[in-house]
Amino acid sequence: MRIITAMALGLTLASPLLFGQIAPEQISVETMPAPGTNWFISKTGGSARVFDAETGEMHGLLSLSDWTPAVTMWNPSKEFYAAESYFARGIRGERTDMVAIYDYDNLRPIAEVIIPNHMARLGVRAHLALLNNGRHLAVHNMNPGHSVTIVDVQDRVFVYEISTPGCAVNMAVGQNDFLQICGDGTLQLIQLDLSGFEQNRERSEMFFNVQEDAVFDRAAKTANGWLLLSHTGLLFEVSTDDDEILIEEAWNIPGAADIGWRPGGRGEFLSVHHDSGLLYVAMHEGGVDTHHDRGTEIWVVDLNSRRLLRRMEMESEVGTLLVTQEDNPKLLVQPFGGEGGGTQIYNALTFVLERSIQAPGAQMFEDF
Amino acid sequence: MNIERIIDSGYYWIDDKARRTSLSLARKLSRRNFLSKLGMMLAGAAAFPLLPVSRSFAQNSIQEVGDPQSCEYWRYCAMSGSICACCGGSSTSCPPGTQPSPISWVGTCHNPVDGRDYLMSYNDCCGKSYCGRCSCHRTEGDKPVYFNSTSSTVYWCFGVEDTSYHCTVSLVLGSTDQ
Repeated sequence: MRIITAMALGLTLASPLLFGQIAPEQISVETMPAPGTNWFISKTGGSARVFDAETGEMHGLLSLSDWTPAVTMWNPSKEFYAAESYFARGIRGERTDMVAIYDYDNLRPIAEVIIPNHMARLGVRAHLALLNNGRHLAVHNMNPGHSVTIVDVQDRVFVYEISTPGCAVNMAVGQNDFLQICGDGTLQLIQLDLSGFEQNRERSEMFFNVQEDAVFDRAAKTANGWLLLSHTGLLFEVSTDDDEILIEEAWNIPGAADIGWRPGGRGEFLSVHHDSGLLYVAMHEGGVDTHHDRGTEIWVVDLNSRRLLRRMEMESEVGTLLVTQEDNPKLLVQPFGGEGGGTQIYNALTFVLERSIQAPGAQMFEDF
Repeated sequence: MNIERIIDSGYYWIDDKARRTSLSLARKLSRRNFLSKLGMMLAGAAAFPLLPVSRSFAQNSIQEVGDPQSCEYWRYCAMSGSICACCGGSSTSCPPGTQPSPISWVGTCHNPVDGRDYLMSYNDCCGKSYCGRCSCHRTEGDKPVYFNSTSSTVYWCFGVEDTSYHCTVSLVLGSTDQ
């Protein structure tokens, strides 16, 4: 017995020598570093990955509901906001719609605000709009009539639901207002008070005909307002001045109609770099009712000079695209169906392909 | 006074005529015969206002051509989603255990057999996971989501217990020349 005890003691003492001096590793969890330039969110059906377009590295992931229309962020509060919809039993059972709030450091949910179960549940960036310096979040509803839910994300409370019959696509303007596109060919301006309740509602003159040449339900933010685009390629720059809706005279995407090319796609297919005024839009060759055909080229148009600067030929059809808002902007392009080696990162000013990032299932990009 | 008498005798005359006619009918006709005639009259009167509509619907059944499991099928000109005919249903019926949405989007499709245009209703079948077979997206007459009566982009599972989307059927509502 004494011999056994002595041997055990000896082995215990000798083991550090036998295994060298390597201390066993401990598992740890990263926290998010401070965001760098050209960071972006790549949203899929049920999640959102955070990437650095400069390095191609992924920094983390937000777990979202399968029905989330979009995710957005307000930098000063260091929080992400997503509208979500869940069924108690996966695809059946009681439905719960909510606005989920995620912290930046851990990308984990820190609060939920339950909202009416009317959320549109479509992957459209303009179905979420942050207003009033990031205080109010507008969520688009369809039940099947259109309405907008307003949530105070600072106080974490549902404010109320605004009925907006015949109007959708929520475009934040002014301090606490948003514009909508309406089926009668007009724009609607809804102005909220500081509490988030509707204070005023205005309607523009009719400026397009939905039957003859509808304006897309995808829009691009510009430096002063929003850029709208019709199925044939007419561009409308719209903005507001307090309660006045301003619609500039329409102009065509240069050269497109002459050669039978049109804009289109089923995802977010147009984006504007605010400072330079460059529009990036997915284009295809086609006629009437081809508005959901995915682009085979990306056209770069200077909104200031109204000139076509570049036609970028794509190897695969364009699923979705976004230009970041940095001084050295990147053009993010997701080929449809995951073809072409993942998300492609272009220098948005020289149009040179810099890298591809593996980002399976990317449906929409968001800059932050 | 005379006027009252005249009115009374008038009433008596009407009563007498009605009594005699009833007795005469009762002698001539059986009760069953009377009821059958009355029933026919009521049914005829009820159906009268529907005649032009029912005549046009009864005129003929829709002449079909094509494969209901193919996206090229003429009824699917404004279809978007999984074709129910590939999922255990048909072009007009939902697969077992799903719930048809009573609310739909519409389109107008041209039937190449009879050369007529038909008003189509596209109804989603709901309450189960996405079928995922025979995915089809055609955009004839499709409009953006702010004009949602003809927008196929929308999930149309409204007015059902479980609002998850499974597949889509296409129903003929009528011909556009009716």
